[in-house]
Amino acid sequence: MWGFALHRWKWFGLLTIASAILALNTLTGTLKPMAEVVWLDIAGEGGAALLVLIWLALMLNSRPAGRVTNLLALGLSGIFVAYWQDVMDEVIQLPATIVWDHWLESGAMPVGMLLLTLGLYHWHKEQQAICDQLRKREKLFREHRDFDRLTPLTRAGYLREHLALASRCAAPPVLLMMELPDFDAHRRHLGERDSQRLLQEVAELLLLNLRRNDLLCRYAGHRFAALLTDIDARQALDLARELEQAVAAFAFKSAQGGTHYSRLVTAITEAGADTPEAWLERANRDLDEVRRRRATNVAA
Amino acid sequence: MRGGSHHHIGYQRDDRFIPCHHHPALLLEMVREPGLDDHKALRHTGLFPEDLLNTNARLSPRHYLQLVHNIRRLHPDPELGFRYGQTLLPGHYGAISTLLGNAAHLDQALITLEDYQPLITPLLAPRIIRTGEYCCVQWLDSCGAGNEYRFLVESMMSALASVTRWLSGGPLPWTFQFSYPQPDYPEHYQVYLGAQLYFEAQMDAMLIPAHYLNQPWPRGSHTARAVSEQQCHQQQLALGCDTSLVHQLYLALIERIREPPSLDTAARELGLSPATLKRKLKHHGTHFQDLLDRARKHTALHLLQFYGYSGEQVARYLRFNDNTNFRRSFKRWTGLTPRACQQLVDRAMTTLKPL
Repeated sequence: MWGFALHRWKWFGLLTIASAILALNTLTGTLKPMAEVVWLDIAGEGGAALLVLIWLALMLNSRPAGRVTNLLALGLSGIFVAYWQDVMDEVIQLPATIVWDHWLESGAMPVGMLLLTLGLYHWHKEQQAICDQLRKREKLFREHRDFDRLTPLTRAGYLREHLALASRCAAPPVLLMMELPDFDAHRRHLGERDSQRLLQEVAELLLLNLRRNDLLCRYAGHRFAALLTDIDARQALDLARELEQAVAAFAFKSAQGGTHYSRLVTAITEAGADTPEAWLERANRDLDEVRRRRATNVAA
Repeated sequence: MRGGSHHHIGYQRDDRFIPCHHHPALLLEMVREPGLDDHKALRHTGLFPEDLLNTNARLSPRHYLQLVHNIRRLHPDPELGFRYGQTLLPGHYGAISTLLGNAAHLDQALITLEDYQPLITPLLAPRIIRTGEYCCVQWLDSCGAGNEYRFLVESMMSALASVTRWLSGGPLPWTFQFSYPQPDYPEHYQVYLGAQLYFEAQMDAMLIPAHYLNQPWPRGSHTARAVSEQQCHQQQLALGCDTSLVHQLYLALIERIREPPSLDTAARELGLSPATLKRKLKHHGTHFQDLLDRARKHTALHLLQFYGYSGEQVARYLRFNDNTNFRRSFKRWTGLTPRACQQLVDRAMTTLKPL
């Protein structure tokens, strides 16, 4: 995801070191006779070196540049260098006077492991910080398949799993369904790209106006769902009204710079004795009902 | 379309007649992201990226289906079909879009879709059934869509629901009926289509009370309609057919469902040898008996659902000699007994009644 270009210098550095080790070994030592070579050892150590390289590639591919990434890369590189020298030792006989090969083998490994541990520790810290930020968007566990491609939210599948968990809680949670009722008309007016951006920005706006522990997800299309815990019906109504006001006051800017206003309809549905599926169905029906009522009010 | 000699028999899978810059370009636009190249999406479609801007480039139904297949594999998001559908109608396809966009009421919009189906919905053919009390828009596979069928149903239903909402100035109370079981993403059906959804209900159709058909819509311009209708008519004449081979044969069977022709007769009427017709149908993933069964099944369903026929009355209408024989055939078509099926479709009908 972050590509090769971002970490180009790390790869270049590692390649240089690996070639330098190869050059030093071949210049100072002599090839061992075939009879003395233990193929199993070469396969084992060479395989280990290769695996470390794969870890490094996977890690670099999934991370942006930064301190944590540097620590992890240095650690893995140290381990790789130690194994690489091991492989060299299997095929090249160095004169007894040379000791640097020993230092490489026995020094690079612990230093590498230390750096890797340090990197993992900071990675854990970083993860905690990210989790804190994502708290409203994903609650207890993370499942990357549930993430929306469009907004930074989760999708309906994730909500369904959470409803099952939440309905077992002591305090009954509340499900808040929300929709931009005129979105289809806006989409025709704004075009595909701007209307998708409108959804993204409304998602951010809703997140800003929710409490720390609320879970927000994009249910489908222009419909959002928030799972509210530790809240009574009156507070939930207030929160829903705040969200409606926030969206009504939101002056979205189209690509041409024009201002575009939207409205949000909301419906609150409390957990009942029914299954999570039925609860969700009830919530959708309630929202449909509110939308219909508003439409007739506007018409009247 | 090339090879003008056999057009009266309807277009086929390999006929190149779908303009690239219509539906196919829209579908590609839905998923286009910076850094993603079109080559993967266009693999095996016979298309090159530069064709998308070429107004003369044409795609066959087979290639269009391949494009859908490729894009669904690259973007497995189940929302795609619904979002794509929303952008499809009235679209920017010239005369046909003008014609549809200026419909004076729902009935005119539906007539436009049915009459100029190859120009606006080449892979899925709508059949409009008006029963006095209800109107049913049934969607039928016109070229052998195979695994892409459900995607096409999702997108065309989403398209029709969206365009009629836009043209009429508010959501219309459609009820949706599907031949397949509920997929594991019901949320998209609920949000893009509506709350009245019936899965495993034998056919893919949208139902609405008949009095919505003639309620005037705000947009329709009579002049724009008249002019664009002439152009559409010309375009369809140039194409040489009103629908696909498979759909044309299906409609012919429906029309004479009480005394259906044999394969030989049907082939002769199309000016083909029986062997050629057989081969062509096979190429579309179907065969004559399959089409005949489908036509009978749908006729039986419509009689049960819209006209309140009993199983015995349907059997008599379809000229089955005895009831047992009919029940056995019905079970083969639908997997249900006529009574069980009637109960199932009655459920869908109750949501249409109270108004």
